[in-house]
Amino acid sequence: MKAKNIRIVMRKDLKGLLNERTILLAIILQIFVAMFSSFLVVGLTSMYDPSSLSRFSGVRYAVGYSGSDSALEDYLSENREFRVHRMDLSPAVTALSERKLSAVIYVPDTPPDADEPIKITLYTIQNDISSTVVNVKLKELLLRYEDDLRSVREPRLDIIPVALEFPEQTGGSDFYEFIYALLIPLLLFMPAIISSALVIDIVTEEYQHSTLETILSTPVTLGEVIWGKVLACEILVPVQAGAWIVLLSLNGVIILNIPAIILQVMMFSMILILLGALTALYYRERTAAQFIFSTAIVILMLLALSIPDNPLNLVARLATGTAGPEQWLILALVSLVVVFLALLTQWAAEWAAKKTLAG
Amino acid sequence: MKVLSGLLTVARWEVKRVLGTMGTSVLPAAIVLLVLLVGVTGFTAQSGLHLQDGIYRIGVNYPPVADIVSSDSRFTIYLADTNTLYESRELLDVVVLGDQVYAQDTDRGRAAVRTLKRDYERYLNSVYSREQDLFAAYPLWIDVRNVKSELDFVATQSGQRVAAPIRSTTPPVPEGPVIEIPTPGSTIDIPQEDLRQGLRELEGQTSQVARYSDIFTSEQSPFGDFKTPSQLSPPLPFDSIILIFVFIFPLYFMSQFFMMSIMNERLERRGEALLTVPLHPSVIIAGKALPYLLAMVAISAIIGLWLNASLLILFPLIPVIFFFLANALIIGMVARSFKELSFISIFFSTLATSYLFFPSIFANVHIISLISPLTLIVFTLQGEPYTITQYLFATSLFYLTGAVLFYIGVVNFREERLFTLSRLMPKIREYIGTALSYRHPWISLFALNAFSIPFVFMAQMMLLVLFFNLPMPLSLVLLLVSAAFVEEGAKSIGISTLMYRETGLFGWKRIVLASAVTAAAFLFGEKLLLFVTLSQISESIFGSILFLSLGVLWLPFLLHFTGVFIVGASIRLLGRRGYIPGILAATAVHCIYNFYFIMRWFG
Repeated sequence: MKAKNIRIVMRKDLKGLLNERTILLAIILQIFVAMFSSFLVVGLTSMYDPSSLSRFSGVRYAVGYSGSDSALEDYLSENREFRVHRMDLSPAVTALSERKLSAVIYVPDTPPDADEPIKITLYTIQNDISSTVVNVKLKELLLRYEDDLRSVREPRLDIIPVALEFPEQTGGSDFYEFIYALLIPLLLFMPAIISSALVIDIVTEEYQHSTLETILSTPVTLGEVIWGKVLACEILVPVQAGAWIVLLSLNGVIILNIPAIILQVMMFSMILILLGALTALYYRERTAAQFIFSTAIVILMLLALSIPDNPLNLVARLATGTAGPEQWLILALVSLVVVFLALLTQWAAEWAAKKTLAG
Repeated sequence: MKVLSGLLTVARWEVKRVLGTMGTSVLPAAIVLLVLLVGVTGFTAQSGLHLQDGIYRIGVNYPPVADIVSSDSRFTIYLADTNTLYESRELLDVVVLGDQVYAQDTDRGRAAVRTLKRDYERYLNSVYSREQDLFAAYPLWIDVRNVKSELDFVATQSGQRVAAPIRSTTPPVPEGPVIEIPTPGSTIDIPQEDLRQGLRELEGQTSQVARYSDIFTSEQSPFGDFKTPSQLSPPLPFDSIILIFVFIFPLYFMSQFFMMSIMNERLERRGEALLTVPLHPSVIIAGKALPYLLAMVAISAIIGLWLNASLLILFPLIPVIFFFLANALIIGMVARSFKELSFISIFFSTLATSYLFFPSIFANVHIISLISPLTLIVFTLQGEPYTITQYLFATSLFYLTGAVLFYIGVVNFREERLFTLSRLMPKIREYIGTALSYRHPWISLFALNAFSIPFVFMAQMMLLVLFFNLPMPLSLVLLLVSAAFVEEGAKSIGISTLMYRETGLFGWKRIVLASAVTAAAFLFGEKLLLFVTLSQISESIFGSILFLSLGVLWLPFLLHFTGVFIVGASIRLLGRRGYIPGILAATAVHCIYNFYFIMRWFG
């Protein structure tokens, strides 16, 4: 096994990738996905989180109020986002259907300390963004009203829950967990999947284009060819993961422990790439190899996710800065698997070489 | 008759070939993997997904509080006395001392408080639903009644504010006749124990998905429109994400096989035998595609039955299948190597998935969602019918683009295209070049441009989805510029292909003529497609930007003409280097025209 031969194969495959501009395509894809997901997040936040709806500030939603007086009516008229109109129910609902109101509330005359619950009827417009927004805003007031009623009826509770006083919430993103514990691990492990699919392509290609015999007639061994290809794919992992990290940082997501994350991602990717190479060596044909491998990947990822302290979780914790020294233990375990697979790949390459030469 | 039997023969060959190569070596492994998959899924369902474990650190000095969060693996809990906690407060995101919650002033600290709050609410619910006097714990119930508005589509769609701001302080007076609404009763029809049962069931649903963001899933009321206040906010249809996985992924997988089958014919001229068969290329392609088409329909039907859905869901899926197969054909024909095949197909599938997925998130919320056929599937699963117009609206672009791609594939399905390798862009140009005949260049230029319209619309729809939720002026400007760019780019394809092919022969006179033909074709295609399908969107302000050029006839014709002419002239003067500047200049002119009209619109 000569390092020089491995390097030659590696350089050839990387050059092939650059020539076909496939990498360019992959990067455009990354930007596209990043753009779409950030737009999506902006859109969803503004739709479902009233406080971020600053662009609608100054707009007052007209609400029809019907039935008996209640604390809710006071809350509504104190709130700067609503304008309450005292109306009879029928004209109010008709006005709602003509979009002259955003919602209509009917409150019955049940007293706050009655045995019965208070049943409010809320009329909104079906399937409509405006009623979505209004509902979110109304929910805050209704929750406050519910709290009031609960404290009136508190003596009737027989189990008293533990009380907690929360600090006044000062902003903070709703999407923290979504970004750090879902988006970042999944995006950073995407290069691993791409690279392992790639190794199958470039190995089976040599078989299916019958170029392997030519290569093997030179002093290069099959083992060296495989390792050259594996390393070419492995080199792409930090490049792509780095591109994601840059894109996310541009979007204002601060990622901690970047070197440690890249190290973890590279190690884990090596497992997938070696598995890909093994599958390709066994099947020597793309359709079958890709089919088996992609099914196996799904199983492997599910399995990895269902084990505590898996590498994906570790990346999430590294990115948020809550990972402890256990990261090195996980890295060591992953490395052990890599060493085992590397030996297996070497053995499989020798076996496959014999098979290729034999027929 | 002969055609049909030929088609079936090719289909039979295809099935035989696949079973021959895949059967012996792949099938056993696939069965083993399938068993493993079922096993692992079961294991995952039991142990849960450990993706978010330990991302927060919480310090607590009172054991009952620790119990509240103990089941939440996101928290690493430190139970210690007040002094120890105070000393190590720097390391903790949240500290709970007695009943007071303190948090770090960081993003993580705030997120931790939010999570703790949700856990606390869940805990409160579990206590309250066990209260003897349920109505002391849940004193307020809301009965939500939906009112249908005849103005449904017009208001939000025509780009008005989400709700029209009403300035008057006097109560509004309805214009139409007042419909009598019976006064709602003040009593609850559902027995107290049933309510308690429903609330308890909610407790069990601490689903993994729900954790990702409280925005995505607020609790759904088990009693339909009868809710407690905390159940009031509308949940996002998470169905559509699951639908993507359940329906679209198998389709994507199967189309990969078709792609590979086409690619295999090209390896080492293996397909030569197939090309000598006395059948038209269209029959060969149809025959090769047929087994995959049937398999995809069968898989969808099985999934549909498994979901207990009506088989009506197949109707919106068929155009998607058709579109996927058409793309697989083209990708299989142009890719130079396996890695190129992989990357182009990943690229394509991401685009297609976003096109299908993002609009369907807004199912039930906004008309824009109807761009995606998946929305129709969501409707069907909800048991709501959809109209023929809606079906046409959602699927016609898929049918049209699929048909155009198949056509391009069929005309190019010959030796000199299949067995040569060239770079991607020149290859695509070659393919389009084949579609432009030498004998009737103007007619084929007209046809090419008319047929590019569905693609342009598809791209513009995507832009609309991308931009429509941004703040108002920004979304308009972005949409305007990018839509103009897409349109100018599409119009330039035909003329530039002709000019590259016949470099010396293309004088000014021919450029003018080609521009006129392109402009006429665009106008014709736009009009036609709009009348058929897109009248709903085109009535909105967004639509008026995309399709602004449809008012008077000679003005848009002049606009289209100018755009193409700028590109043509630029290529004529600067050679190939002139292409990009030409498109940019044409886009600028297009934008100025649109801006002028919109300004006039707003007065």
